[in-house]
Amino acid sequence: MSKSPSAVIKTRILLACIAVCFVGFSILFARLFQLMILDSEEYQRQAAENQLKVTTIAANRGSIYDRNGNKLAMSTTAWTVCVSPKEIKNENEKALIISGLSEILGTNQDYIREKCERNNYYQVIKTRIGKDLAEEVTAFASNNGIKAIYLQEDVSRKYPYENFASTVIGFVNDENIGAYGLESFYNGILSGTAGKLVSAKDSWGQDMPFEHDELYSSEDGNSIQTTLDEGIQYFVEKHLELAVKEHSVRERGACIVMDVNTGAILAMATKGDFDPNAHTVLPESVKEEILKLPEDEQGEATLQAQYAMWRNKTISDPYEPGSVFKIITLAAALDSNTSTLGDHFTCIGYANVADRKISCWQNRGHGDQTLADAVQNSCNPAFIEIGLRMGVENFENYFEAFGLTEKTGIDLPGEATSIYYSDGMTEINLASSSFGQTFKVTPIQLVTAVSAAVNGGNLYKPYVVSKVISEDGSIVEEYEPTLVRQVISEETSKTVREILETVVSDGSGRTAAVPGYKIGGKTGTSEKLDKVSEEGEVENYVSSFLAVAPAYDPQIVVLLLLDEAQMENPYGSVVAAPVVGAMLADILPYMGIEPNYTEAELEAMTGKVKDVTGQLVHDAMTTLRIQGYSVTVVGEGTTVVAQSPEAKSLLDAGGTITLYTDESLIPKEIEVPNVEGMSVTEVNNAIIGAGLRLKLIGVSESATDQVAYSQTPAAGEKVMPGTIIEVSFTINTEEPEENG
Amino acid sequence: MKAITIDLESFIPVSAAKERIFEPKHRRGKIDVTFLVLVLILLTFGLVMLFSASYAFAFYNEGNSFYYIERQLFFAVAGVAAMLFVSQVNYKILQKYSLLLFAGSVALLLIADIFMRDQYGFARWIYIGSFSFQPSEIAKFAIIVLFAHFAATNADKMQTFKYGVLPFGICLGTVALLVILSRHLSGTIIILALGIAMMWFGGTKMRYFAMLVGAGAAAVVIVLVVPAFMEYAGDRVTTWLDPYSDPLGEGFQTIQSLIAIGSGGLWGTGLGNSRQKYLYIPEPQNDFIFPVVCEELGFIGASLILILFALLIFRGYFIAMHCSDKFGALLAAGCITHIGLQVVLNIAVVTGTIPNTGISLPLFSYGGTALLMTLGEMGVVLSVSKKSAIKKN
Repeated sequence: MSKSPSAVIKTRILLACIAVCFVGFSILFARLFQLMILDSEEYQRQAAENQLKVTTIAANRGSIYDRNGNKLAMSTTAWTVCVSPKEIKNENEKALIISGLSEILGTNQDYIREKCERNNYYQVIKTRIGKDLAEEVTAFASNNGIKAIYLQEDVSRKYPYENFASTVIGFVNDENIGAYGLESFYNGILSGTAGKLVSAKDSWGQDMPFEHDELYSSEDGNSIQTTLDEGIQYFVEKHLELAVKEHSVRERGACIVMDVNTGAILAMATKGDFDPNAHTVLPESVKEEILKLPEDEQGEATLQAQYAMWRNKTISDPYEPGSVFKIITLAAALDSNTSTLGDHFTCIGYANVADRKISCWQNRGHGDQTLADAVQNSCNPAFIEIGLRMGVENFENYFEAFGLTEKTGIDLPGEATSIYYSDGMTEINLASSSFGQTFKVTPIQLVTAVSAAVNGGNLYKPYVVSKVISEDGSIVEEYEPTLVRQVISEETSKTVREILETVVSDGSGRTAAVPGYKIGGKTGTSEKLDKVSEEGEVENYVSSFLAVAPAYDPQIVVLLLLDEAQMENPYGSVVAAPVVGAMLADILPYMGIEPNYTEAELEAMTGKVKDVTGQLVHDAMTTLRIQGYSVTVVGEGTTVVAQSPEAKSLLDAGGTITLYTDESLIPKEIEVPNVEGMSVTEVNNAIIGAGLRLKLIGVSESATDQVAYSQTPAAGEKVMPGTIIEVSFTINTEEPEENG
Repeated sequence: MKAITIDLESFIPVSAAKERIFEPKHRRGKIDVTFLVLVLILLTFGLVMLFSASYAFAFYNEGNSFYYIERQLFFAVAGVAAMLFVSQVNYKILQKYSLLLFAGSVALLLIADIFMRDQYGFARWIYIGSFSFQPSEIAKFAIIVLFAHFAATNADKMQTFKYGVLPFGICLGTVALLVILSRHLSGTIIILALGIAMMWFGGTKMRYFAMLVGAGAAAVVIVLVVPAFMEYAGDRVTTWLDPYSDPLGEGFQTIQSLIAIGSGGLWGTGLGNSRQKYLYIPEPQNDFIFPVVCEELGFIGASLILILFALLIFRGYFIAMHCSDKFGALLAAGCITHIGLQVVLNIAVVTGTIPNTGISLPLFSYGGTALLMTLGEMGVVLSVSKKSAIKKN
């Protein structure tokens, strides 16, 4: 028996060697190659996901300014520093936390120690700390591997003016993301880029020792400056809100003030609106209505009510513009030379078009009219004729050229498109379209088109944001006005301006007049043809007024519309024009445009206050405005219950009249004190002290010793507070005696 | 029916009875330096990687980053000393005591099974005071020695069932049964594989292996059908096929291992820079040390280690093949097969190539008994190399 290994053994060992060294290891190599080379990226991604914990650091959201730099929306971010006492590892760490937080936050060490010794997971150390401190605390906790320190971020968006321009500004959702209005449209610019702290953590979630954190700083959002003017917006909202109440407007009111020469929106308002600080809160009245519904319908109803409340009516709700549209028809007719200033139109109260009889709002007819008369009268049969003379093709061309077939492209979300006869327009369609019925445009489209009609023919794209401003105040981007096209000639535009001026000076728009200013305008009372009764009766109207001011050198266009005013006669001239007049009376002086009174206007200022009690506030304002008075309204009501000075009082033009709309706010009448024989100082004390105003007569600056000898009204008379008491003085007659 | 009669005397190591521990100087050959150097390089590599892989785990679990490396270093020094000593010993002495060694290892397995069962039902360790060791590690070596002896002694009768299968089967079955009773599946697998490899080297007829393959297939079917087995092994198979089916449970280990290996890329994150060792890979100092190697040293480093292992194994088999002595050849082949099996199976497990069983990586994984035994076996191979007709330098 041989001791040396047999051939079989040697062969089999060789086979095993081959199997292990070549086959086995080859498989392992292949597998490693697959994992480490081919699939490496995927595993590296998984590893990062595994090991890296990312803490986001929110970026500050930019502010929204008006054109004068007033903050309309701003962000406040604050952090709360918390300690979780149970997660403090040991006494050393506790001491570190106490000294570290005390140093960073300036909080008393004993206070922090007391909190750290509590036996729970949540103790607030300091609330509402700023970003710098928050970052310091984060770094401190991270660098020392402290898990027991927490920062709670509290980002809130503040709208300091509350409801002010809310449908334009919009609001942010719970995640601080713009959800509506400018907040939504410019979210990308406002939100900035969140930063992150990337740190390597072990599978227990603790920082790996010897690993460095990487901090990617957050980039704060930029701010935007809007074209809105806080002052103009304030006047617009004040009057619009009152008008909506005065006329019990059912489907909200809307108003746009646009710079005619640039397309910049100076004011844009919808009432009722909402407070973006609490954008989900519905008005009490709406809440009550919803509570009356079956419970399962309340959620949906609430949602619908919220959407309705948030909606920016000026851009999202197309409506039949009615007679205001006659401005466009007029401009198109003049520019196409199909009608001229010298043309005459006869109105017999209706017009026959094809087989249809279309009535004028004035049943008895307007008789013979010039083109300007037709506009002043807002005569439908005249405009039907103007439209038919122009023909479908011209009408369609101008309609499109004025930008009414497409969205204006304003920088706000939710702009609606117009609804119109896109093709196959018949004569009847043309006839009704000529006076602004049977098609729909949005208020912003109409304002944009009219601006072009009066500014020399240039159609500008409307815009709300003028600048993007970085955190340090430098301008990142500036938006220039965008001229879309010239629609009509300068000459035509001039004629349109002149005719519109006569509407306010002599025509249906008289109630919008503001003494001292030339204002062009056009009333509108559109029938809501899609909301007729079962009998086919028109029951609902949109009352509107459009003003151009100053008429000969237009700077602004104002469009006001009140949707479904609950009035006997919801005419634009009655309902809307006085409101626009009141707005302009505030806005034009605010804009620094000097009044320039005509003889006729000065004559109308009689100096004798008219009785306006019992009138709606805007009607009273209109009456008193013509008289040259300023008006202050006291109270939240809509009807004047008292006025001061009273009717028939003598008051020079330029004086202020206080209108009371709430009985409880009327001040008690005051008995005029007797001031006879008093010195100037004594008189002053007595009159002012009684709540009256003093007018001194015959007071000489050089004389030192004068006494009152007469007063109007007389002593003992009851007058309203603030009534001016005229007191006449003379030199004290006893004086020479004393000297002699 | 003819009763099977076996000449039991033929299993007594008569020829080795006269062997002495140390051979006379003139008969001692030189050890294979190549093999020794490869062992030492791999051991050094292994110790460095063990330190890197274990310090985070040690820090968290033992409060001392050096916990594992300190202990492993001690066993490494002891192991190298043992290896050098064994290399000088006349390996034939093992043949002389092969039956005794086997009986002893069976006794140790019995002691563990009977007295050392822990609260979870495991009986893998024998504790003597603060010292503990795994009897299965000793059993592996005992099987190698015993089977080398059987095959060498009855080389001319290995083709028969009586001598080529039956004694091997009885011994292997006994040991495997005792190890599986200690709830040590991976140990059982290694022992069975080793035993079968020894029979193969020894010259057992091919058809018996064919039958074994059939029996193995049957066993797999049984495992798949019997729910009790499935509960234990089935989960492992499922998570092997799709570790992401239970990413936080059974699949966690495999996923974390694959992430570590894969994220190493070509060059790795650099020595000491593994992130997966921060408690993501369970027991990175033990069975899952290789993923940390991959993560830190990349494909380049991992390949280098694979190549070193391949060279070591190749050299080992080379020594075995050229041994002038039958017992020596089988002994060396067995020791090398042991190393080779562990390396291949360990890396196959951590790369998700085969289902997860607890198989450690020789010379790398933490474990005193295993390291001592491995180095001891390397010493045996070195001892055999003295009788091997190869060029030694």
